[in-house]
Amino acid sequence: MAKNAFNGHKDWPKMWRSPEPREFYDAIIIGGGGHGLGTAYYLAKEHGLKNIAVIEKGWLGGGNTGRNTTIIRSNYLWDDSAHLYEHSLKLWENLSSDLNYNVMFSQRGVMNLAHNEHDIKEIKRRISANNLNGIDSLWLSKEEIQKKVPIMNTDNLRYPVLGASYQPRGGTARHDAIAWGFAMRADEMGVDIIQNCEALQIKTKNGKIEGVETSKGFIRANKVGVVASGHSSVLAETAGIRLPLQSKPLQALVSEPIKPIIDTVVMSSAVHAYVSQSDKGELVIGAGTDSYNSFTQRGGFDIIEETIRAMVELYPVFGKMKMLRQWGGIVDICPDASPIISKSDIEGLFFNCGWGTGGFKATPGSANVFAHTIAKNEPHQINAAFSLERFVSGKLVDEHGAAAVAH
Amino acid sequence: MLIIECPYCGRRDQSEFSNGGEAHVKRPDGSSEISDREWSEYVFVRSNTKGIFYERWVHSHGCRKWFNCVRDTSTDEILKTYRIDDTRPKLKDFKNLVDTPSGEPELGSGNFTVKK
Amino acid sequence: MKELKTNSSSFVNFNQKISFLFDGKKIFGFKGDTIASALLRNNINLVGRSFKYHRPRGIYTCGIEEPNALVQIISEYSEPNTRATIKKIYEGMEVESQNRWPSLDNDIGSINSLFSPLFSAGFYYKTFMGPHKSFWKKIYEPIIRRAAGLGKPPKEFRALSSHLHHNVDIVIVGAGLNGLLAAKSLINTNHDILLVDFDNHLGGIINNSAKISSIDNQSPQEWVKSTVEAIEKSKNIKILKNTLVTTYNYINHLIAVEDKHVGSRPSENKVNNILHKIRTDHVILCNGHIERFLSFQNNDLPGIMLASSFEKYICRYGTLPSKEPVIFSNNSNSNSLIYSIINQGYKPKAYIDSRSGENIEPELFDLIRKHDIPLYTNSQIKGVSGGKRIEKILIEDSTGGLSEIHSDFLCVSGGINPDVHLFTQSKGLLDWDEKDLTYKPSKPFQPTITLGSASGQFNLEKVSDEINEKLKIFKNKVLDTQIVLNTKESYQIEKLWEISPHKSSMWSKSFIDLQNDVTTKDIRQAISEGFDRIEHLKRYTTNSMGTDQGKISSINALGIVSDLLDKKVNEVGTTIYRPPYAPLSFAAIAGRNSYEFYDPERKSPIHQWHIDNGAIFEDVGQWKRPWYFPLNSSESMHDAVQRESKNVREFAGVLDGSTLGKIEIKGKDALSFMNLIYTNSFSKMKPGSARYALMLGEDGMVKDDGIISKISEEHFIATTTTGGAATVLGCMEEYAQTEWPNLNVYMNSITEQFATFNISGPKTREIMNKVFPEIDFSNDAFPFMTFQFHNYQDTQIRILRASFTGEMGYEIYIPSKNAAKIWDQLHSFGKDFGLIPYGTETMHLLRAEKGYIIIGQDTDGSITPIDLGLNWTIGKTKQDFLGKRSLTRTDTIRTDRKQLVGITPSNKEDQLTEGQHIILNQTIKTPTPMLGHITSSYQSPTLGHSFGLAVIKDGHSLIGTKAFASTPDQKTIPIEIVKPVFYDEENKRLVS
Repeated sequence: MAKNAFNGHKDWPKMWRSPEPREFYDAIIIGGGGHGLGTAYYLAKEHGLKNIAVIEKGWLGGGNTGRNTTIIRSNYLWDDSAHLYEHSLKLWENLSSDLNYNVMFSQRGVMNLAHNEHDIKEIKRRISANNLNGIDSLWLSKEEIQKKVPIMNTDNLRYPVLGASYQPRGGTARHDAIAWGFAMRADEMGVDIIQNCEALQIKTKNGKIEGVETSKGFIRANKVGVVASGHSSVLAETAGIRLPLQSKPLQALVSEPIKPIIDTVVMSSAVHAYVSQSDKGELVIGAGTDSYNSFTQRGGFDIIEETIRAMVELYPVFGKMKMLRQWGGIVDICPDASPIISKSDIEGLFFNCGWGTGGFKATPGSANVFAHTIAKNEPHQINAAFSLERFVSGKLVDEHGAAAVAH
Repeated sequence: MLIIECPYCGRRDQSEFSNGGEAHVKRPDGSSEISDREWSEYVFVRSNTKGIFYERWVHSHGCRKWFNCVRDTSTDEILKTYRIDDTRPKLKDFKNLVDTPSGEPELGSGNFTVKK
Repeated sequence: MKELKTNSSSFVNFNQKISFLFDGKKIFGFKGDTIASALLRNNINLVGRSFKYHRPRGIYTCGIEEPNALVQIISEYSEPNTRATIKKIYEGMEVESQNRWPSLDNDIGSINSLFSPLFSAGFYYKTFMGPHKSFWKKIYEPIIRRAAGLGKPPKEFRALSSHLHHNVDIVIVGAGLNGLLAAKSLINTNHDILLVDFDNHLGGIINNSAKISSIDNQSPQEWVKSTVEAIEKSKNIKILKNTLVTTYNYINHLIAVEDKHVGSRPSENKVNNILHKIRTDHVILCNGHIERFLSFQNNDLPGIMLASSFEKYICRYGTLPSKEPVIFSNNSNSNSLIYSIINQGYKPKAYIDSRSGENIEPELFDLIRKHDIPLYTNSQIKGVSGGKRIEKILIEDSTGGLSEIHSDFLCVSGGINPDVHLFTQSKGLLDWDEKDLTYKPSKPFQPTITLGSASGQFNLEKVSDEINEKLKIFKNKVLDTQIVLNTKESYQIEKLWEISPHKSSMWSKSFIDLQNDVTTKDIRQAISEGFDRIEHLKRYTTNSMGTDQGKISSINALGIVSDLLDKKVNEVGTTIYRPPYAPLSFAAIAGRNSYEFYDPERKSPIHQWHIDNGAIFEDVGQWKRPWYFPLNSSESMHDAVQRESKNVREFAGVLDGSTLGKIEIKGKDALSFMNLIYTNSFSKMKPGSARYALMLGEDGMVKDDGIISKISEEHFIATTTTGGAATVLGCMEEYAQTEWPNLNVYMNSITEQFATFNISGPKTREIMNKVFPEIDFSNDAFPFMTFQFHNYQDTQIRILRASFTGEMGYEIYIPSKNAAKIWDQLHSFGKDFGLIPYGTETMHLLRAEKGYIIIGQDTDGSITPIDLGLNWTIGKTKQDFLGKRSLTRTDTIRTDRKQLVGITPSNKEDQLTEGQHIILNQTIKTPTPMLGHITSSYQSPTLGHSFGLAVIKDGHSLIGTKAFASTPDQKTIPIEIVKPVFYDEENKRLVS
């Protein structure tokens, strides 16, 4: 850094090349987001595959990777989910040094608030399951919450805060950085990252993958991994495969930057509001999905209202804050709120999608096990439960939380 | 927020409606001869088209009637609403604005600002 | 002070002096001044420190596009990041500058400037990682976070905002020249129109510059006055002032925020701002243009301002930020500034134009010659220098020769851009105009019309023509407005984005984004690193990601990038302008919809009785339900629940069950319909009988339960859980309308129409005999799971013999308006028999002793009826019902699924805890395989120990075996797996 400072920062090497596609690759990853670039990275690094391409129809990291609210945690309920997200969290903990690129992973803790008795029961069950799985998860009383987040109004609310689960090792990271870090190192290892290259059709023959027809021509491949979030099912259709996914807009917003005011991540599913403060000082606030399918990456203002009216009640100091900008992405919602990391009926065709609203935290873990699945033609133990088969057998991994409120 | 024309009540704000997913999905009649795979298709799989999409809405805060709708999911433009028992308008009545499965329409997605 | 006397367009009232505090110092201004105009009036130009380098910054503009002059309003709950160029002063206002310590003049952060060569674009990605990863968490990040942000956190503030909805035919955004003319031409036509302007004085460019000499032979101000009067008198146009349109959504949906206390202290009990939500058929955008700056060395020093902003200060606020500024421009828009200054009796110190002589307007040459203003054509500013204020300007003239001017003020103009934010928010597309060197609106996606400079039509003399052409679809009045200009107005610009410095150094800075401290060097570095796509460039350098969204600079960045990449600007594109147009208050977005108005409180018809009798409530969805009834303030919840439970088993208790959903289903095909919706078969049920039923999702999992009362084959009443009521009704309607429209059936919610009282206990029959003496409650006349209708006083009630507690009991259904009467009767007669009210917690305990499930507690969406041991609810011969097919999938027919069992601690003093898990080993070694979890557990006063229900793998086979349960403090207790029923297994008490 110092050397380049003296040189006017003219000589930093290019982060990645802009190659034209070759005729043939051992593996093509469709989708240049964090998960896709990470998959290519791990395929090259851990499985020695050299001839790999990532094709991205827009600019790398420009989809959900560049639009999410950057929350990272692993305190999910079921064993299979817990192990998957915990695998990812452990990778996050060493990612900056592995990539020699600062992804700014900040382990400042993640809190999930309970606003009624039902929330409390659900959360306590999850904490118990987490602890038995070796995941750091604890119950915070209202007083302990107030100590950690002094600006929170816990009592004078329509649905007062009764307690929370807390994962100290959870936190946030810089979303662009993981995409750029993976891209840089993958490119270094010879992965061709081809932007502005749209996958038009996945071509198969006799139940085997042939390659991908793209806007830059046909590219032959032995293996194809589809990691295209909201567009995954659209591409699957071109291969004659129907995925149980629905693409919906997910909106988020940031406030103007201010000096530090909250140093942990607070989520509240009861009132649809989650917030953290970025290193730049902006409050990063996530909203819920719009209810209808859309690929426009836009939603209604009602979603923003829903979140903000809960926010100004939970955090009275936010009354004087201002929304700086709002945006959206496309999330692929899966019936059991768990991802699909799976082989398919077509030999050589693999899918990593269905992350819905919770994909960012799993970026390195998902990429890692998906690379394994592609390289070895079999799922890793960690992603075995997330196969497409589960919808046929009925063995879903439901992470919505408990069903409708009782009595 | 969209404006939706309920076939019974007329044009109303989207906030009066709830989305009901893909339209014209026939429920298998419950006989056990259907395979696990076919049944799972009904329970879990729905089309997720980018472009002309047939879906349902219900006027939850109004007449509480379900109805069908043709909407372009690449621009959110609602092209037609029709009653549940009306015949499904043919695809050629509507023009798909995306040329490729993941393509962008020339106008109306909001995902780019400069004319191509 | 520099107030001017001759100015006739000033909105400042020089007769009303106002004082306010700036950084503790008292400053005098006038009514109508903004903070910025008042500061400039007092020759104060240093107003803040920049984000990264803490460089001294001044007031750069006169409007909402301001990147630098963001201040904190201490007297308004410390509202941060307020634009000093917009915020009007009032007496006693307290204002503080931001991002500096200990003071604006002596800011310790300015040391960052020294290290600035290290802080190039994306520097934080490349460092802050070593020597050990803990350094990031403990040292680097806390420092970065403390340095981040602009303003300090505000104080707590309960919003006084409300929302207003509008449904109109046309919205005209902007009431400047074009907006007013468009409105004028639509007066008393057939359209409902809203004319919206951010300002409190309408007129736009008319007020902000000296470009216009007369309109229709009136002075511009006179014309505005008479036009506004005519619009106000019209029948179809409403004007909203002080209202900023921030968002243009799909479809035809505008969000605007109105400031209700401009120029005065916000009231503590009146609405502060209004969020307008506007639906319209057409939008006419007349929101004008924004001037852009130029990048050269130290182009951020205080004392540099946009040319049109300087003119705005003269024309609007009657203040001259400097008597002899230097002006640097590459276009003709700044001509009127020179004219304005001369009009006030002063003259610029020099006028530097980068254009070649033949492109400069002859009228301008005349003006300059006449007043002897030093003129440089074909020249550029290589850079400026100074400490906390600009002092010297380095000029390179047409021969390449360098000279220096001393000046404390510089006006720059790099051209004008149509303000296309709203147009692009509407999903319209832009096109690059190579002549005017800017993006102009091209293809609209929604019914959007642009007029005037917002559409890229910069010729003020041609406004009528454009309006007549574009608005003829509205059958407007044809305009023939005669506009006479002071300066010849045919916009002319020569390309110039940045000027390279004369002597470059590690520290030399030429800014491309003032707010985020992004320099042109950063852009170059980013491109060389491969971030040459405009979106990557924006994210890597944070260019245009500030609160101003790069309004005065983002186009410049595109110009620079297009030159660097040798691409057309159209190919470079732009990043997407995100809503809101300018930062939008959270309080305005929330409106009144927080605190008491966040969600309705749904209450049972006898809610007041519960309050009067000391009930403690819990939230069940939106409902308030009595949780328990402590005898006095010293009885704990645990003791109250133990007492209530014992009382119900020994005497009697009554629960208000009104919140549970009730749905009435009627029709010729009601029976077939009910058979399809629920697992049970209702065909053989006798009318007058009732049955416990389950509703599954199509995935076979239990979704809801209830009691179905069969009045006849064509008439049923179903109950649901409290939380599931709306979902069950919605599901029924969906299937009835879309899947089985051939069935003649209809349904309706009657949840709120009837109250439900659940009375049970050994003394119940005696109490009921007293309350309803005419009814025969004997076992033969009124068997278990049957119901009867009876007249009661002036109404009809339904009594169902059923109980959730395991004691014999009844559910009484009464129209809500009569509910209190019956409840009072029950208690008045019941107290002799020991009747008490009980709450939801006791209800949970008692039903658990019987092994009855609670949806959402013992089920979680992954459990089938067979798992729960409720196979008997499934109609064996039924062809079809919701979810039937799912019950025979490979995973669903496994016999070792998680199944409902009972749990007791092996040592009776041990406590089971809900939510903890059942494991096989005594010592916990993570990750520990879990058999399942305890779904419900209580201390039973009847059994004398803790007990629980659990769902565990292969539960049915494990009954009778031993295992362990985890505890909250990570230990284990030994447990026994038993049948899920702990009390009166043969149901003798229930059917007594």
